[in-house]
Amino acid sequence: MDVLRLYFNALTGHRRGVLILLAWSVLEGIPAFLSGRLVGLAVDRGFGAGDVWTGVRWLVVFAFVSVLGAWGQRQVFARLGGVIEPMRDALVRIVVRGVLTDPATHRRQPDASAVARITRHVEVVRDATAGMLVQTRGLLVTTAAALIGLATTAGQLAWMLGLPIVVALVLFGMLLPSLARRQRDAVLAEEHAAEAAGDVLVGIRDVVSCGAEQVAGATVSAAVDRQAGAAVRVAWANALRGLVIGCGSLVPLMLLVVLAPGLVASGQLTKGAVLGAVVYLTTNVQPALLQLANATSTVVLRLMVALKRLGETAPKTTPVSGDEVPDGHDIALRGLTFGWGGHAEPIVRDLDLDLAAGEHLAVVGPSGIGKSTLAGLLTGMMSPQRGSVLFGGVPVDMVRPAVRHKAIALTPQETYLFTGTVRENLALFAPAASDAELLDAAAKVGAADLVERVGGLDATLGHAGAGLSAGEAQLLALARVHASAAEVVILDEATSHLDPSAEARVERAFAARNGTLVVIAHRLSSALRADRVLVMDGGAPLLGTHQELLATSDMYAQLMLAWDPTHTSTSLQH
Amino acid sequence: MARPGDRLLSSVIRRDWRWVFLVTTAVVGTTCALLIPNALAKAVDMALAGTLDAPTVLWLLTVTGTEIAVDTASIVVAAGLTSRATAWLRHRVAHHLLRLGHPAPFAAGDGVSRLTGDSAIAGGFAVLLVNLGITVVSSAGAVVALALLDWRLAVVFLASVPFGLLLVRTHMRLTADDVLAYQQVSGDLAARLLDAVGGLRTIAASGTAEQEATRVLRPLPDLAAAGIGMWRTQARMIWRAGLLVPTVQLSVLTAAGFGVVAGRISVGSMLAVLGYTALAMGIVGQLSQLTTLERTRASGTRLAEVLDSPAPAHGELVLPAGAGDLDIRGVYDVDLHVPAGTFLAVVGRSGSGKSTLASAIGGLSTPARGQVLLDGVPLSDLTSGSLHAAVGVAFERPALLGGTVADSVGYGIAVEDALVRAACEAAQVHDVVVRLPDGYATPMADTPLSGGEAQRLGLARAIVRDPRVLVLDDATASLDTVTESKVDQAIDSALPGRTRVVVTHRAATATRADVVVWMEDGHVRGTGTHDDLWQHPDYRSVFTGGDA
Repeated sequence: MDVLRLYFNALTGHRRGVLILLAWSVLEGIPAFLSGRLVGLAVDRGFGAGDVWTGVRWLVVFAFVSVLGAWGQRQVFARLGGVIEPMRDALVRIVVRGVLTDPATHRRQPDASAVARITRHVEVVRDATAGMLVQTRGLLVTTAAALIGLATTAGQLAWMLGLPIVVALVLFGMLLPSLARRQRDAVLAEEHAAEAAGDVLVGIRDVVSCGAEQVAGATVSAAVDRQAGAAVRVAWANALRGLVIGCGSLVPLMLLVVLAPGLVASGQLTKGAVLGAVVYLTTNVQPALLQLANATSTVVLRLMVALKRLGETAPKTTPVSGDEVPDGHDIALRGLTFGWGGHAEPIVRDLDLDLAAGEHLAVVGPSGIGKSTLAGLLTGMMSPQRGSVLFGGVPVDMVRPAVRHKAIALTPQETYLFTGTVRENLALFAPAASDAELLDAAAKVGAADLVERVGGLDATLGHAGAGLSAGEAQLLALARVHASAAEVVILDEATSHLDPSAEARVERAFAARNGTLVVIAHRLSSALRADRVLVMDGGAPLLGTHQELLATSDMYAQLMLAWDPTHTSTSLQH
Repeated sequence: MARPGDRLLSSVIRRDWRWVFLVTTAVVGTTCALLIPNALAKAVDMALAGTLDAPTVLWLLTVTGTEIAVDTASIVVAAGLTSRATAWLRHRVAHHLLRLGHPAPFAAGDGVSRLTGDSAIAGGFAVLLVNLGITVVSSAGAVVALALLDWRLAVVFLASVPFGLLLVRTHMRLTADDVLAYQQVSGDLAARLLDAVGGLRTIAASGTAEQEATRVLRPLPDLAAAGIGMWRTQARMIWRAGLLVPTVQLSVLTAAGFGVVAGRISVGSMLAVLGYTALAMGIVGQLSQLTTLERTRASGTRLAEVLDSPAPAHGELVLPAGAGDLDIRGVYDVDLHVPAGTFLAVVGRSGSGKSTLASAIGGLSTPARGQVLLDGVPLSDLTSGSLHAAVGVAFERPALLGGTVADSVGYGIAVEDALVRAACEAAQVHDVVVRLPDGYATPMADTPLSGGEAQRLGLARAIVRDPRVLVLDDATASLDTVTESKVDQAIDSALPGRTRVVVTHRAATATRADVVVWMEDGHVRGTGTHDDLWQHPDYRSVFTGGDA
């Protein structure tokens, strides 16, 4: 969903809160509305007429009204939370959902810094919205109230004095887009400079070892100069804005000074009215306009920039489609081809494979050759460029998501553990499983001791499995999949942090569990335990049993030899 | 009291004389601001008298117009001054951090924050000083102007300000608690989101995104509650601050009213009184600038810390022709002559000092005792360029810099595409690169690399330099054994007869080495061939206990 639309929906969704806020604004505007009038009265009836105490009385009324305005402002602030926080809640929700449903995750490493950046943008939006509601709203209220006050004290001049102000505000509004653009460029340039410096400083060891201090310095310097240029361009736009607003407040004052003598002489304006009009213009309108211009250039632009950046960086969610229901759990790959782009060589090319329900396949090959991509294709998270992945006779990416997620389980190399009890973590894919079932699954993959040591199912795990080793975290993730009802289990280097004997135990446990097992192997020993082996080595894929491949494929034999020159392959059978 | 950063801050001002422009605009602007209330009072008195006096009107137009023009100009002058000073500081800090080299005395994050944050704050020093000056001069000037109108006004003003401030008091403590609560909940939420991001593939494959989003969002109501608390506290503070201005205005205007009645001042001067009161109150709002001044000085000090750190000295010698003969003399008790073309393996448990030794051999750090000689010349006597051209180092976790994949391999040197490609082929990463969307021209930012892929690019980066000595600091640890042995053979054919120093956890690699250095607790434990050392149970346990 569009971030900008969501933002405005969230604000208008709290119409009541906004209305209450605006109602209190009226109170806040009263001092501006009455200030000139009251000072005028104090002079006309009091000090100007030689009656000191009447003058003081009007001034006391003036002070009282100011206090009333401050009270209104207090109410506005107290109610701000009711509008701002729900809006921030809504943004946080969409960001979290967006990040967690990002369709590009299967090909990217999880990017923690991007997440941090997005959450920072949300905070900026929160602060800036508050700033806008407080400052910009307050200043607009003050300006409007003062103009109305002006109209009631010096009615015949109101149009003439008000028009330049309105023209200035309109011109200012027209300048905003270019100001926003420059501000955004400046923000990007600043981020870019920090990134360039960060890259070089994080990699200083590599910079030194490459003797590349000159190149690295030049990269940072270029980013720094770009930022400096962008900052100056923002200033030019700000200066122009200041000029427009300055003229907008100067012209009415000069008009008043030029026109008033005639009107006073002909008795059309009282002294107090002239004084009041000047008070409105100089103590209310002029400062409010200047501050409005300043606040807008900082607060509103920060808001616009953050919303825009949020819209750009927040992942787009695409609705999951597919309504096919598979017939059985056989997997069939037909002419499967997949690559990242037009120029890129395919990672998987023309792969044909039939995997009957209950079969155990190991996928071996050098790192980076696209084994994980195959896992993405098998689970239906990615769609092939050519050919098809059929699950129960229908394309797996077209299977109804609920059915697919239940039938196929993937354990990737990066382990997912969250803050919560061990039970919650283990039951992630099987919410209805009993404690006995969870403990049984843990025992089968060899995690029984571990569960006992951390304090049983009720023990709480820290963030990202804090306190557990990488291997222990993997054991819990494996127990979780074992406890699920999935018919097809894919282990994508899910045992990379286990020692060889623990790995063997896990693979045996999954082989004994009913259902299809695909092991994307970290070690070649996995191949020895599988019914069949798929070798991916960048060329045409090889498929067969371990013995067949040893006999028919020189490359496979070499792989086995290179992997372990000192041991015979039989000694590794556990 | 002078701080180390003050000298740097004063040089920020001295290096760019254009602060004169800023001071000029400030002087003119402040003068105009002080003249305006008086000019306005005169003009109002004129209007009240019902006469139009051209000089009075023109004078008002001149001072107000000049103020607007000067303010406009000062925005551009100030931004130019600040951004030039900031850029100048950033250039200096960046280049000095690079000169400090490796191991970096400042952590990368710390370095970045000094380079971006502190430089920007310190760069605004000139503008801050001028602003402080304007604030003090215009406030003092406004009080003087009040006194010139009627000395009683100045007295009333000065007496009412402390009273008003007493009403305000600060409520910083209250907000601090709310802010803390908000930040804590916010941090919990972020940590939950990061957990989930680490498990994105699990979540995507199991279709549990909605369920996990709910889990991450569980603390959200607490966040909203803390946020609402923050606004309420702010409301109380605003209320107190809102009382200050009316209090002072009421006192001074009343005093002025008495003046009008007594004939000491004109009716128009009531306006001048309002204007001067506002100007004089300006200093209250600007008190925070003193905090900013302190912060600026602190930033200056943090920058001075970087710039005053002495950079390690490099030698003056250029390496004579040679084949890559290494002589390690007393470095971590290692005394070893490594003839050109030797394959030397360094083994030991984690933390035994393998990488430290490799770093000394690679010329990345200077050992406290002993020295490493390359073709008869101590590494510390060589120029940086000569040293790093002769010794190529590849790391377990390389930082790959440069715009594109090809740039990152040829980082810091001018090298033909064909050589980059050949190096990538040797490092067994060519097949990965050609599968990227734009092959070698793919931007690094768009290149998702696994640990093993990054390692192989780092290896290609060392190979492409065609060095005399190749140091591989666990640089093939993430590769499976098959790929590792392919890399090994490819280096043999790409860089035949090259001296190789390889830090490894793998017995298979140590087997292939001509000689093995066995490190333990920062010292050498033994030297010899793998087969000889293998007789020792402790040596065997290095491999069986460590690497699975």
